[in-house]
Parts: sequence; structure tokens; C-alpha cells
Amino acid sequence: MIETLNSPALFVICGGIIGFVAIVCLIFLIRAYKAGIAAGMDKAMLKRTITSSVTFTILPSVGILLGVIALSGSLGTPWPWLRLSVIGALHYETQVAQAAAEQVGVGSLSAANMTPVGFATIALLMSICIPWGMILSFFFNKSYLKKLQGKNKEEENKEKKPNFGDSAMIAMFMGLVSAYIGSYIGGFVSGEGAFTFKGDLTPLIVSVVSAIVMAIFTYFAEKKHMVWLESFSIAGSMLVGMLAAIFI
Amino acid sequence: MNNEYLEKYNRGTHIIGRIVSAIALFLLVGAPFLIGKIIGGMPNLSAVAKGFISVGLIWTISSVVEFLVYTPMLGAGGGYLAFITGNLINMKIPCAMNAKEMAGTKSGTTENEIISTLSIAASSLTTIVVLALGVLLLTPLQPVLQSETLQPAFANVVPALFGAMAYQYFRKNLKLAVVPLVIMSILFILVPTLISQTSIMILPSGAITIVLAYLIFKKKGSIEG
Repeated sequence: MIETLNSPALFVICGGIIGFVAIVCLIFLIRAYKAGIAAGMDKAMLKRTITSSVTFTILPSVGILLGVIALSGSLGTPWPWLRLSVIGALHYETQVAQAAAEQVGVGSLSAANMTPVGFATIALLMSICIPWGMILSFFFNKSYLKKLQGKNKEEENKEKKPNFGDSAMIAMFMGLVSAYIGSYIGGFVSGEGAFTFKGDLTPLIVSVVSAIVMAIFTYFAEKKHMVWLESFSIAGSMLVGMLAAIFI
Repeated sequence: MNNEYLEKYNRGTHIIGRIVSAIALFLLVGAPFLIGKIIGGMPNLSAVAKGFISVGLIWTISSVVEFLVYTPMLGAGGGYLAFITGNLINMKIPCAMNAKEMAGTKSGTTENEIISTLSIAASSLTTIVVLALGVLLLTPLQPVLQSETLQPAFANVVPALFGAMAYQYFRKNLKLAVVPLVIMSILFILVPTLISQTSIMILPSGAITIVLAYLIFKKKGSIEG
């Protein structure tokens, strides 16, 4: 069965869809770059945005590749490759694939138990559980953003001062980061029983190391005016943080 | 002229965004049927329906919340792309926020729309290339990536990412950061079972931070400090 799931035909289907999405990304990239120049934005800044986003993404992508490898044992390589290149999220795919396998009666996700019907059913379930962001964007992205922007402009005109919208986004993101860091603290203190301090300390140490390295990068970028460093600061901090995990 | 160009750009973004979202949806839902035809077994629709009720409903609700929360952060172009390419919390959102921080743009502005789109597009292409190379070189790479020595490093990609992002954001808004961080830590210490639900706990944490930010903003006109 696993040979069938790794057949060239499946690679062509999944690779074709990934290729389509890659072209879409290129179109958006080129359009945005051109619009940036038309809006009088600094070319160097536009290029730095691209460089920093590329360096930023490399390490998490290698982490996602591990997800592909993990799922390829039971679902073959092409399908997890498609799911995790496009639309999928690392934490989602494994969970849904597992739940789907149980529904199909395959039991646990494994190549030995997989059948053609089982695979097709799991694949379809993985596809229909998560596309809502795309569907909602299709129907509501335009009107939702218009509504928000209209409100911001109104507020700005009325009060003659910067609106709260931007600060709200920053606050939301800080809440997101706090939830994750809080979960590492909680995991260490109570992960192996309430207040036992025997849980996994590694994620907390990794995030602290990564934050310290980020502080060093920021110092050089801001105080020593090494602006080019900014593009690599997150990726560099992550790399050192992840290396720290190996030595703990 | 520029305004006209940018308005046309924005209209175009929505048209292209909608078309490609529809095509991507069609391809992703259609693929299992096409594959099923090739491997000789069509999806069992009643099992799909049962599975959807047991796992899909939760994801549907969280997708609605993700759309409402992240679309304003990502803008139009970035929003369409990010929802097609996925991995929002662990990659696209931090990536766009980092780009925004570096460029110093404000949410809701044309400049931010452009920076966000560039960032999400570049990030998505990078993932596609890394995964394609990874799949191509799977045989030689697999033992290296799955080696026991490197396992802890890859198991901690997300903590490394959020550690760096925490410094970047907390240093400018230290007072604002302390409260959600303390509340969330206490919550996870008292109810450790919530740790596996961190992606949902983002919502109360974000809500608390927004309320606090609003109070500080009303008082000082800015949240920095």
C-alpha cells in the first residue's frame, strides 16, 4: 500500500497543486513589490522585508519537514507534503489524521493497516476540516477589512490622534506570545503534577536563550547601526535557542 | 496617479485573492477523489461525516476565530495568502509582525498592506522550497533530521521563535506584557491540562492584553513604555 501512496502519479497531483500555490505566491509578491514602489516606499526596505521573511521561515520550515517525515510513514510522502506545504498546520494535520484513522476503522495511523478507502477517507477529512479560513476570506475579507478601516479613519478624524487599531494588533500578538511563554512556565511547574517543578524545563530555557540572543542582535542593530543584522536576528536567535536544547 | 494605481491594486488583490482561494479549495477537496480513483478506493463519505462531527467542528470554530483575529493583522493580500498556505500561529503571523516591526508600518495603512503581503508571500515560497527540497532529498536527510541528537532542537522550534519575539515586543511595552504573562503562567500552573490547548488560550490572553492596552492608550495616547 505504501508503494501506491508514493507512486509518481500522486507526486504529480500533489506537486501540481503545490506548484499552483507557488505561482500564486509569486504573483502576490511581484504585485506587492510593484505597488510598494508606486506608493513611494524605499526599495531597500521592500527587499529587506523579503530577506527577513525568508530567513525567518527557514528554521520553522525544517520543523514542518519533520512533520512530513512523521506522517509519510503511514500516509506516504506526497499527501503530507501537499498538506504541510499548503493550508495545513503542523499541530493540526497529525491530530486530524489520527482522528480520521480511528473513524475509518484503520485504528492507529500505520502503513500496515492502511487501505485505499481508508487513505482516501482520511485525506478528504483532512481537507474539509480546515479550509474555513479560505472560505471566510473568499466571502468576507473585503467587507471585514473595509469595515475596520472605515472605523479607524472615523476615529482618527474625530479625535485627531492615532487610532487604537494598530495598538490592538500589537496587544493581541503580545497576548499570543504571553500564552505560549506562560504554557512553558506552567509546563515546568505543574507539567508532572501540581507544583512539583519536575516538568520539562527545556522550552522555557530555549525561549530565554533565544530572547537573550535577540537582545544582543538588537543591541548591535540599533546601537552599532548594523541594520542589515535585523534581517537575520530572529533566525539567528532561534538557531542558538534550538542548539541550546541539544545541550540541556 | 499613485492613489489611482493603489486603489486599482487593492481591487485587484481582492479579485485575485477570491479566485485563487476558490481554485485552491476546489483542488484540495478534489484531490482525495482523484487519488482515490488512482489507488482504487473512493472516500467513505459517511465516515468523513462522522469524523467531521468528532474533530472538524472544533476546527471550524477555531477557524472562524482565526479569521476574525488574524485578518486585521495580515491585511487583504497577506490574509488571502496566509489562509491558503496555512501554519498561521507558528509562522505566518510572527513573520508578518516581524516584518511590520522592522518596516515600522501601522496596521490598516497601504504601506502595511504591502509589507504584510510581501512577507507572507516570501515566507510561503520559502516553506514550499524547503519542503520540496526536503522531499527530494528525503532519503539522505531523514537519518540526519531524525537523529536523536537533533530531536530536542526541532522539538523546540516554537519556544525558540516565541522567545525571540517576546524580547522584540515586550521590551517596548514591558508594563503591558507583565499582566498577561503572569495571568497565563498562573493559569497554566493551576490547570496544567490547559497546556495542550494553548492555541485556544491565545484568545483570553489576547483579550486581556487588548483591554489593558486600551486603558493605557486612553491615558497616554500610546501603549509604549
